[in-house]
Amino acid sequence: MNEQIYMDNCVTTPLAPEVLEAMQPYFSKEFWYPASFVSTGEATSSAVHEFKEIIAKAINAHEEELTFTSGGTLANNIALKGLALAHSKKGRHIIVSLVDYPDLLTHAAYFEKMGFDLTYLESDELGYVSPDKLRSALRPDTILFMSTMVNHVVGTIQPIAEYAKVLAEADHKIFFHVDGAQAFGKMPLDMQALGMDTFSISAHKIHGPQGVGALWVKNGTRLSPYVHGVKRFDSLQPGGLSLAGIAGFAKAVELVYADLDGNIRQLRELSDYLLQELEKNIEYIELNGPRGEGRVCHNINVSIDYIEGESMAMMLDRKGITVATGSACASQGLKPSYVLMAMGKNHVQSHGSMKFTFSRYNTKEQIDYAVAELKVITERLRQLSPLYNAIKQQQEK
Amino acid sequence: MQYSEKVLQHFMNPQNVGKMEHPDSTATEGSPACGDQVTIYLKVDEASKVIEDVKFLSYGCASNIATASIVTEMAKGKTLDEAKKITWRDAMEALDGLPPVKAHCSVLAADTLQTAISNYEIAHGLKEVPNFSKETIIEELKKIIYPQVGEDIITLKMVKYVGFDNGEVLIDLNIMSFDQYRENVAEEIREHLSKYPEVKDIQINFPS
Repeated sequence: MNEQIYMDNCVTTPLAPEVLEAMQPYFSKEFWYPASFVSTGEATSSAVHEFKEIIAKAINAHEEELTFTSGGTLANNIALKGLALAHSKKGRHIIVSLVDYPDLLTHAAYFEKMGFDLTYLESDELGYVSPDKLRSALRPDTILFMSTMVNHVVGTIQPIAEYAKVLAEADHKIFFHVDGAQAFGKMPLDMQALGMDTFSISAHKIHGPQGVGALWVKNGTRLSPYVHGVKRFDSLQPGGLSLAGIAGFAKAVELVYADLDGNIRQLRELSDYLLQELEKNIEYIELNGPRGEGRVCHNINVSIDYIEGESMAMMLDRKGITVATGSACASQGLKPSYVLMAMGKNHVQSHGSMKFTFSRYNTKEQIDYAVAELKVITERLRQLSPLYNAIKQQQEK
Repeated sequence: MQYSEKVLQHFMNPQNVGKMEHPDSTATEGSPACGDQVTIYLKVDEASKVIEDVKFLSYGCASNIATASIVTEMAKGKTLDEAKKITWRDAMEALDGLPPVKAHCSVLAADTLQTAISNYEIAHGLKEVPNFSKETIIEELKKIIYPQVGEDIITLKMVKYVGFDNGEVLIDLNIMSFDQYRENVAEEIREHLSKYPEVKDIQINFPS
């Protein structure tokens, strides 16, 4: 295959051609910032209003509950610092889990430095954090619980609605922020039903442009302002934003939500097919995270025993295939994937972990090619591996 | 982080790969927990002491495979005395350099070769099993790379004190608590020293 095969779509996705087209006018012809009483600025105001409606409708939110941001991480920052600072007089206890997205865990470390008290919930071996663990961690001074709806490494779907129920049963208000970057566009989301207070999403994970995100804030929720400046689009993220980016975001949402079920089904089929082919063709391989409905539709993460992930990923890269690994050798800090370690995997399982994440542009033919290449690579690296040789020798005895 | 063309060549087409049947000497260094392990096998001509053949196995990343490949290439055809002079710096140079976080891979490969040679010499009565002392510890610390800059911790003057008393190793390291590589360095030290039966306990202290 001559084309580049990209299977790392949980990091970012290629821009859809329809999205690029929808963005074009806003780079040069209709570039104005929102304003009142002038036809140019008003045209933008009403366009932004429409874009927001499209996104709000997709997740059953009210339009005024959405703030455009310059990405998912900024949305997390505005929500988390905004909630913690606005409500710190009522308590200093915050809860997170050990398998959450780095945006949340770096906030946890920051909050600790600021004098907050943090509880880190443990996950089970599938990456699932049980609502019971949350219940027993609650304290009279708990003000905030943060969670990642879909785990970024193993695709585990956390029970968000059940968490919300646990929090609602407490005798005081506990705010609930959720990072939705890996969930948005991959499962039906209903802001009115899930029981969260704030929720972050991002455009470039669903074939929208890079550098645009949104924060949903439930009506009536008080946040301390985190970004200060002049209001152009929204008051929680003052200053300028990419108008073309916002237009592209709305178009990307429109495309996914025109047939959300169909999109999910297609991604699920690709994931199921990959797993089936991997298990058929490669021995000593195991799935990390849940199998089936408990897992998001676009993620497969496996550990291939006795060989190391950076070697596999680099050899695949030489064949034009982009995937990710949780190997310590592939990380600048030389640390194995903290998610896999928190799930109780050992170093070898983490070093040998490979993550494939799909988008609607992936095909079964690409999977066939990738599995065939990986099979050859696995055999080559295992011939080299002292661990594999030792196992084979034991088996012969 | 990028690898040189030379590293990629040796990674994609490693030389001297595979298990050797009936080697004259062998050594395995590293551990799966640390993410890399290398085994080297030697065939040595008893009269001339020339390394006639050398093979390796590697569990590890691209630079691990590449350094094992180059080290075996460098040792092949050399006498034991010549091969003893091959250092991790030589291996790194021969590969046109490695990213600093990967320098420890060249140490592992060179170290495994040296252990295989030493094992041969001990088995053939060419040298005694060396006595374990403070000097042994310092020699081992010279093989511990600080990943940020790709230099060893002795050269970088990160070791403030080394003591050895009654099986107990005491090391003071000048690495601050916010350093992301502090645990990596401590773990590597433990791995290097715990292979000596003389070492019963290892205590590593940092500035508070």
